[in-house]
Amino acid sequence: MNASAVHDPSTLPSDDNVNPYTFCVDLKGSRWFLQKGKMIAYYGDVSFQGVGHGALDRLVRTSFHSPMHAGDWVVAEGSGKMLLADRAFDVNSYDLDEGNLTVRSGNLLAFEPSLSLKQSIVPGFLTLIGTGTFVAASNGPVVFMEPPIRVDPQALVGWADCPSPCHHYDHAYLSGVLGGLRALTGIGGASGEEHQFEFVGAGTVLLQSSEALLPERGTGTVPHEPGVPGGGAPHPGHGSGQGSHGSAPRLPGQLGDLQRRFGL
Amino acid sequence: MPRVRIPPAELSSPPPAGYRRPVATFRLQGSKVLAVDVTGDAVRAKNGSMVAYEGRMAFKKMSGGGEGLRGMVTRRLTGEQMEVMEVRGQGTCYFADRASDVTVLALHGDKLCVEASNLLCSDGGLRTGTTFTGLRGGAGGTGLFTTTVEGSGQVAITSDGPAVVLRVTPRYPLSVDPGAYVAHQGDLRQSFQSGVTFRTLLGEGGGEAFQIRFEGDGLVYVQPSERNTVGGDV
Repeated sequence: MNASAVHDPSTLPSDDNVNPYTFCVDLKGSRWFLQKGKMIAYYGDVSFQGVGHGALDRLVRTSFHSPMHAGDWVVAEGSGKMLLADRAFDVNSYDLDEGNLTVRSGNLLAFEPSLSLKQSIVPGFLTLIGTGTFVAASNGPVVFMEPPIRVDPQALVGWADCPSPCHHYDHAYLSGVLGGLRALTGIGGASGEEHQFEFVGAGTVLLQSSEALLPERGTGTVPHEPGVPGGGAPHPGHGSGQGSHGSAPRLPGQLGDLQRRFGL
Repeated sequence: MPRVRIPPAELSSPPPAGYRRPVATFRLQGSKVLAVDVTGDAVRAKNGSMVAYEGRMAFKKMSGGGEGLRGMVTRRLTGEQMEVMEVRGQGTCYFADRASDVTVLALHGDKLCVEASNLLCSDGGLRTGTTFTGLRGGAGGTGLFTTTVEGSGQVAITSDGPAVVLRVTPRYPLSVDPGAYVAHQGDLRQSFQSGVTFRTLLGEGGGEAFQIRFEGDGLVYVQPSERNTVGGDV
């Protein structure tokens, strides 16, 4: 298609896609949370303030619960039309109605403050809860699937209402030392598809039609507490709480996770 | 969605009949390949961007962007180097560049400013040159100079993802992220907007610290992707 449509503020859509790669947000004195650097152009009078700006305290208290990601987000405020895009990835908006949806942190572009943002227990994912609209990017159009389903980790964009995202490893990891070595080194042929994410229960799983990921945003680490997944690797000699069976300090030359595969 | 389409005639049509010189016609073959029909006339294209041709074609490297010795020196000095070839012949020539999307636009005596790297092909009758952009280029990470195209004829520009064309009128000025800016045409003034405050220094910046503000009358081409800019993450 030739880009023969010339847009001005009166012809730009209101809270809709301009083309599959660009989304237009209509600000009418309202506020939107937006990931840094995703705004490409705007008409009108819009200001951008970092989360943590004093005047936004109340807003942040009600709808932003992710200290780790605070540095990546800004609040757009004012009136006008604002265009969002990300690396020429497909951009779509989703409406949540008293729902919850978890999405890869790099893929979320913007959301209305009527939603509240929380960090998912699964590292690298963010959960949105409430009613409102958000905008997310994907490489290729998004496909909606019903569980039970196993998906490739790189194709996963997010999921809604599913209570049980978990890892699934194919049986080969059990088949002896050679199986473990093969999976670890790729020697002897690994299909690259031995590991999937598995979803069961009621809900929807969102997949993108390619395995190209948006680079993860540097998110820091979650608090180093017992019981928090991804709270940093257990330090040798500092093994408090993390490893369930007191992870021993790893000897140099020891073969990574092979020991665990064989229950050592 | 409500969308007003400008009839294609206004944007990308060959210059009017009665024009003496034989004129190449630009059209899109899909969204990422430009097809140019030439009948004995010449177009200038980015060096090495030809992907196929039908008929007889001659490709000639033009040193210094075909702007003579002065242009060559200017381009070397400004860092706005442009490897250009002249394509002349009879038939259809196809151009593409790194699978980026192509936009065809027509100039009717007005001026187009575009980064040399985004200029894919221009009619042989158009003049190209370099101009100083000021701080805008500096913040956009694209250098302080940009390429101008003047005259009447068709031009093809490339962008990462299909370009969005935004109209600027005196009533509706536009702000653009330097990383997403591709080109602009018409009578536009650009100024540099900075939202840098003491908060930015504290690491609580708005993330959109630099913008280019366009005022006047014209069109701005924006790509749905951002180059890495100096001010990108501030």
